[in-house]
Amino acid sequence: MTKQDLQSDQKKKEQENIQPPQSQPEEQIKREPTLAEEILESYRKLEKARDILSTAGNVGVGETPHEVLIEKRAYRLLHYQQMVSKTSRTPILVVYALINKSYVLDLQPDKSWIRSLLSQGFDVYLIDWKAPTAADKYVSFDDYVNCYIDDCVEVVLKKNKVEKLTLHGYCMGGTMSTMYTSLHQDKVRNLAVIAPVIDGHKDFTVIANLAKNMDVDKMLQVMGNLQSEQLYALYLTLKPFKQGINKYLNLLQNVNNEQFVGNFLRLEKWLYDTPPIAGETFRQWISDIYQKNLLVKNELKLGDKIVDLSTIKVPLLNIIADEDHLVSPQCSAPLNDVVSSTDKRLMRFHTGHVGLIASLYSQNNVLPKVGQWLMARSQ
Amino acid sequence: MVENDNADNMQEFMQEQVNKVFELWSSKLKLPTIGPTYAFSKDFSSFANDFVTLGKAMVELKSNMDSYWSLMSAAYTRAMRSTIEQSPMQLATKEDFENYRRAAIEAFEDTFTDLFTSSEYSEIYGKLFGSQLNISRTVQSIVEQNFKMLNLPTRSEVDDILKDIVELKRTVRDMKRSVEARNDQARFAI
Repeated sequence: MTKQDLQSDQKKKEQENIQPPQSQPEEQIKREPTLAEEILESYRKLEKARDILSTAGNVGVGETPHEVLIEKRAYRLLHYQQMVSKTSRTPILVVYALINKSYVLDLQPDKSWIRSLLSQGFDVYLIDWKAPTAADKYVSFDDYVNCYIDDCVEVVLKKNKVEKLTLHGYCMGGTMSTMYTSLHQDKVRNLAVIAPVIDGHKDFTVIANLAKNMDVDKMLQVMGNLQSEQLYALYLTLKPFKQGINKYLNLLQNVNNEQFVGNFLRLEKWLYDTPPIAGETFRQWISDIYQKNLLVKNELKLGDKIVDLSTIKVPLLNIIADEDHLVSPQCSAPLNDVVSSTDKRLMRFHTGHVGLIASLYSQNNVLPKVGQWLMARSQ
Repeated sequence: MVENDNADNMQEFMQEQVNKVFELWSSKLKLPTIGPTYAFSKDFSSFANDFVTLGKAMVELKSNMDSYWSLMSAAYTRAMRSTIEQSPMQLATKEDFENYRRAAIEAFEDTFTDLFTSSEYSEIYGKLFGSQLNISRTVQSIVEQNFKMLNLPTRSEVDDILKDIVELKRTVRDMKRSVEARNDQARFAI
């Protein structure tokens, strides 16, 4: 071997040392993580998820600008800041349910029911129910419907200088809006309800099933208000594994996806933000509406007045979800059969109870149609 | 089937025996209610009755709890069987584990949702919840006796006041509305 050969050989070796084979980085990327690496990564994700869940309460919700028009022991009446210069003549009063908090209707800007209505040119008010105390044990639907909702309606009518408004209720709020319309139709121009409980005997959900054999009279006597713990226990029986376990596994898998985590936390905060329900109201809800089915039979009594749904003649929009696991669509739909309104519409969407109001699906598919229907009847 | 009948009979028999024991003790505890021991014997007898009732409620709770867990346990077995049927035979790769997880979630979700929407579950849950309420009610009654002994208002008495307040509020509301309506009519007339 000559000196030149030796030199060229040396150079080759140096080059090899400086430039590693080109295929090596690709191999590194393609390499499957070892078991140890996977365990470490899972541990990191678990730690991160734990941190995330511990701060769930701090996540921002209900951020659409609003003012509190009145605040009483039982409720706050919110008025949202208008988003367009010209709004429809008929204001909308949103009646939220007595279960969990009303900010699910304004969970985050891109999934806000309220914000969408505002951007479509409506003047929106919302009744935000406060948590009842032990002293509110005997507060009933009569108080909610004929006192609290009626007070709010009066305030909205006076503020907007109109004679009628659109009553827009969600879930239990939809049922209360229906009761109110039956008793105070002179103040309601349109009734738009989302997943209301109407025919308790056609509800095939876990809630309706448990309600069948619940001794609510004894419950009122012994427990007073229905406490949050009882409601959590009930929630555990609704989609127990998909909601109860799988969603946390999904969080682990997507723990580094900021958008996913944000959405998860907002909904999680809402799910576990559960105030008690006034004892007598809950008794009526289970006994009169689910067990005896008085509402659809037009035999429900609020105070000394009978709620007769057949007297409702105002335009009615009934929005229901085919995949609803809290209120069966078969339970909500009969409202359109029992009212006397000539202008009535049933809108069905292929989504769930919460998906109907707080999802991108709802923003893209539900709200444009709802807004269109309302706008045509609000000028 | 025969085993189930035997178990039911045994449960009924046990319940009957426990009731007999409680009744026997209840009758023994009835002291004379005359003379200076009147107040003592009255309270003692009332306490004794409450404790007997509490014991009965606890037996009832135990029986309902057994039925409840028997339902849950049967559902768990069904869900496990279904998971095994639907999941991969071998758990060798990451994908196998993922498929197992999916199969398990689906099987458990379906089985337990079927259970929670069944009339049997509704009935047993109602009974279990009722027996829990019975225990709470009896304990409350015992506590109320103590409050009475201390001349403190009891929960039942506070409850009556709350009921009155709510009724009064409604009456005031109706009166206020009727006055407002009359004022409005008067304004229109002018």
